[in-house]
Amino acid sequence: MHRRNFGRLLAAGALLFATTAAVVPATAQAQTGKTIVGGFDVGPGGFQGNFNPLTATAGFTWLNTYFEPLVIYTSDLSKLTGALASEFTLAQDNLTYTFKLAQTNWHDGTPFTSADVKFTLELAKNAESGSIFAARLADIASVETPDARTAVVKLSKPNSAFLSVLSQMMMLPQHALSSVNVKEVAKSAWWSTKPVGTGPFKFVKHVSDQYVELAAYDGYRGGKPKADRLINRYFANPAAAVAALRAGEIQFTFAEPDDAKTFKGNGGFRVIEGDSYVVNYIGFNHRAGIWSDLRVRQAVMHAIDRNAIVSSLYGGAAKLANCGYVAPQLLAKDMADYAYNPQKAKDLLAEAGWEKINGSKPIPWLTYYNTPQVANVMAAMQAMLAQVGVNVVPRALDVPSYNGIVRSEKWQDFPLIYAGLQNGPNPGSLNVGLNAAQTPPSGNNIMRVEMPPLTDALNAAMGETDPAKADGRWQKVCKEMNAALPWGPMWVASRYGVVSSKLKDFFWTPAPGGGPFVSHPEKWDLAP
Amino acid sequence: MASVTHAGSAGPIRRALSRFFENGAAVVGLAILIPILVLTLTYDLWWLYKPNDIDLLAMNQGPSAAHWLGSDGVGRDIMARLLQGGRISLLVATVSMAISTFLGFFLGAIAGFAGRFVDGATMRFVDLAMTLPPVIFLLVLASIVGSGIMPTIFVISLLSWPVLARMVRARLLELRERDFVVASRGMGAGLWHLLIRHGLPNTIDILVVYATLQVASGILLEAGLSFLGLGVTPPEASWGNMLNAARATHVLENYPWQWMFPGGALVLTVLAINFVGDGLRDAFDPRSELK
Amino acid sequence: MLQYILRRTAVGLLMLLALTVLIFTLLRLTPGDPIDAYINPSVPISASDLEMLRTRLGLERPLPVQYFAWLGAALTGDFGYSIQYNGEAVLPLVLNRIGPTILLMFSGLVISVVVGITTGIFAAVRRNKLADLSLSTVAFVGISSPAFLTALLGLYVFAVNLRWVPAGGMSTPGAPFSVGDLLAHLILPAALLSIGHGALIMRYMRSSLLEVLSQDYVRTARAKGVREFWVIVKHAVRNALLPVITLIGSTIGMAIGGAIFIESVFDWPGMGLLMVNAVVRRDYPVIMCATLLTGACVILVNLLTDIAYAAVDPRIKVA
Repeated sequence: MHRRNFGRLLAAGALLFATTAAVVPATAQAQTGKTIVGGFDVGPGGFQGNFNPLTATAGFTWLNTYFEPLVIYTSDLSKLTGALASEFTLAQDNLTYTFKLAQTNWHDGTPFTSADVKFTLELAKNAESGSIFAARLADIASVETPDARTAVVKLSKPNSAFLSVLSQMMMLPQHALSSVNVKEVAKSAWWSTKPVGTGPFKFVKHVSDQYVELAAYDGYRGGKPKADRLINRYFANPAAAVAALRAGEIQFTFAEPDDAKTFKGNGGFRVIEGDSYVVNYIGFNHRAGIWSDLRVRQAVMHAIDRNAIVSSLYGGAAKLANCGYVAPQLLAKDMADYAYNPQKAKDLLAEAGWEKINGSKPIPWLTYYNTPQVANVMAAMQAMLAQVGVNVVPRALDVPSYNGIVRSEKWQDFPLIYAGLQNGPNPGSLNVGLNAAQTPPSGNNIMRVEMPPLTDALNAAMGETDPAKADGRWQKVCKEMNAALPWGPMWVASRYGVVSSKLKDFFWTPAPGGGPFVSHPEKWDLAP
Repeated sequence: MASVTHAGSAGPIRRALSRFFENGAAVVGLAILIPILVLTLTYDLWWLYKPNDIDLLAMNQGPSAAHWLGSDGVGRDIMARLLQGGRISLLVATVSMAISTFLGFFLGAIAGFAGRFVDGATMRFVDLAMTLPPVIFLLVLASIVGSGIMPTIFVISLLSWPVLARMVRARLLELRERDFVVASRGMGAGLWHLLIRHGLPNTIDILVVYATLQVASGILLEAGLSFLGLGVTPPEASWGNMLNAARATHVLENYPWQWMFPGGALVLTVLAINFVGDGLRDAFDPRSELK
Repeated sequence: MLQYILRRTAVGLLMLLALTVLIFTLLRLTPGDPIDAYINPSVPISASDLEMLRTRLGLERPLPVQYFAWLGAALTGDFGYSIQYNGEAVLPLVLNRIGPTILLMFSGLVISVVVGITTGIFAAVRRNKLADLSLSTVAFVGISSPAFLTALLGLYVFAVNLRWVPAGGMSTPGAPFSVGDLLAHLILPAALLSIGHGALIMRYMRSSLLEVLSQDYVRTARAKGVREFWVIVKHAVRNALLPVITLIGSTIGMAIGGAIFIESVFDWPGMGLLMVNAVVRRDYPVIMCATLLTGACVILVNLLTDIAYAAVDPRIKVA
């Protein structure tokens, strides 16, 4: 290398460095207007990278900022209220639902009509479209459109969960999608490039694995949104989102309980705590052969000091569950409380002959929860079970491995699980996990619970369309669960979101699957 | 290259050892490594706590007289977990080193000694293994075999042998046509005989250095796998899954003892092994041209 | 030479084919399929809907049929549709990630080469002096630290605490593209990425230069009264660079696969993050395409390195 070349190289390097140094501070954002950035799809209620409401199992909080369903849960998730349907009624026959539609336009200016409702429901009912709502909407016999503002849906048999399913059914524009072949709908680029909804914000763009950007829809019927832009930033894990929140780059995210704790008492942030509506349970595989004796299952319950775990590891932010429910109106009277009593657990095991059933052989204990908190909770339960002579070995899997294993028939691979199942706002959610008719492959009763009295109680409750009698039916289910212990119910934990105090009139709650629920995104505002 | 022509000659090895002990860094490495080994292997004889004993009344406590290095999120003693974790991490690294060294040597030596066809086939297989994107290989393999100690050993062993196989083959290729090999072949010596009597002594320097550095990289890989949730599963302790706690900002910030000690132990151990490995490399080959 | 290149290319293509068979088989041995990855276990969902999805994706067909269907389409350039990303076409999806990955890896490489070679020369010249010892120690610590730990700590210190740089991502969401914004996002992950490589390059440079400095022609140059600085720069460094080039070459091949830890800690939208997500979601088409592309890159770069090496050092014969 010659001296001159070397000098040149040096000069070039210096220049590069100088430009970098000069340009970097200029990143102070030259954005106009108010931009709200959040991690709206972080955590279990989110579904990053999914844009198609027909294939959504979660992520409804975000989808609801630009799409809208006909009916929606109120913000306390207590009941359903109208969204795109300004009114809705169920006829005496318990089969005919009539929806009066709100007067509004799609983001591209086309009016929203009953034809869109018919189109959406028929698309969602057709499994060819890739919809995962097909089975749940199978009871729809017909959708009629007497006029542009009215849609009438007739069911073939009464279904108490119908409106609840409908709340996750985002209305789609017929004029934009009807030209697409039904089989190609799920693959269409429309969803992530130019979707059109009726919500307060309209779609601008999606930058793969980074963020989704929306802009205010000035013609929104609930009033012009206060924020000019709404951005949903993607994060590989909640910890990264918390880092961005602390760095002031986003104004909202879901947070793991331990992370949320660190924001308490910090004036710059507000911590939102809410019911997860997911009951955590120890699942006994009823075909594994070692849990058949009720006394063994009772012993597991008595061996675990749930109060200590909740007060220390959950910081008190979880409700003990003695059946699948914790909502007061669903609880039966005179339930066993399965208080911590290791001696009783030992006695029960001895009576049942645990030495012969399994003894001290290690029992794999599967979970799909990969959070540090659950790892700690399971470690604590492992230690407690070891005290009474039940040797469990926790093993955390990724979701596909977990689902692949628990849907197989190799019982020895999953004798025991730690899992959660949605138990509200619609109490019927538990049916798929406990009803004998729901055993895989036809359903999601992965623990192969086959208890006729429980199945009868569930069927009775599912078929009850009279709201006044429903709670009583579910109490029977609760009672049955408490006595027969198809699962070892543990608790319903709280989930958290953290909001920058700059974000005004913001509403969020940790609803299962992200809701949707009434959150009025058009009112969200950013203080300077 | 100081090629060793006679099997089992102790001379060069003794010379290498004396060169090794003249190397300051290597001796420092050994001086760090030996106490770590002794501590991790014997801790249950002299330390009060067990690594999986939880204490919900003593969670997240800082270092104190009772818990020298503090306690973690379920009140387990960090000192006990650190030493047990070290035992597991070193076990995983050492066993996977042994397997991958054997695989690498065996395949490399077969390629080097056997005929052209076997050589070609083996080396294409090695190339294939090297072409596989490590990220995908690691993730897919870890998902197939599951997480835990044995699967982690399996994954790490399978990931690292191709490099060694190449080096062994390159060394032995020079040897293949040499008189004494041709002669022993002519005398009907089996492949096994060739491998042990000629292959091993002639590649012992490569093997020793590779093995040492492989232990270091095994420890790092275990930590990385555990970070991705694929390595040794909690509640079993390993340095990797203890470090995983640093992922949560609140632990990083408020409970530094929960990640600083395993982090420090890991870096120190790998550092010491690297020192030793470097020392061995210089000792066996003063011109240090091992690639 | 031409014959050599042709033969190597043919072997490379065969290996790519073998690679696809291997990864396809491995993938199908993994528990769970794309549909299993789709279900949140705590959300009630009907099993019959999932079966229909499985049939739509053709996952119920026998494995060889699925493989040849994939191969046939791939040969015509159709790599199918991603399952996790709403049916985005796979090829553009994967190609879009190569840019960010190359940018990150290249920046990291440049930093590590510049820093590694400079400090390597410095350490060699000051052999066994304080500067050498401390640089070597730092390099050793760099090699010995797990990448994810330095990444986590770097993110925490520089982004969360000091707020010098953004906490992850490749651009400020919603902001128009600017070079400054990109550099601000790039600098920290690239710098952290360079630690390991830089330390390795420094070690190689140091020992390689020490060896060259002891050779006859260097002694001759010194004896002829050439100034020490020019002896090193002009005669020694050039020759000492050879093994370092090989080292850098071997890193480039791997680079396309992305830096899995840095990319996942910093949410950098590169190949590493894409592949991690694809495996976690069992997105078969994406994994196959990404494997094929990275495999092709590794083979290509190995070929190029061999040729470059042969060109730089005429003593090496291609055979």
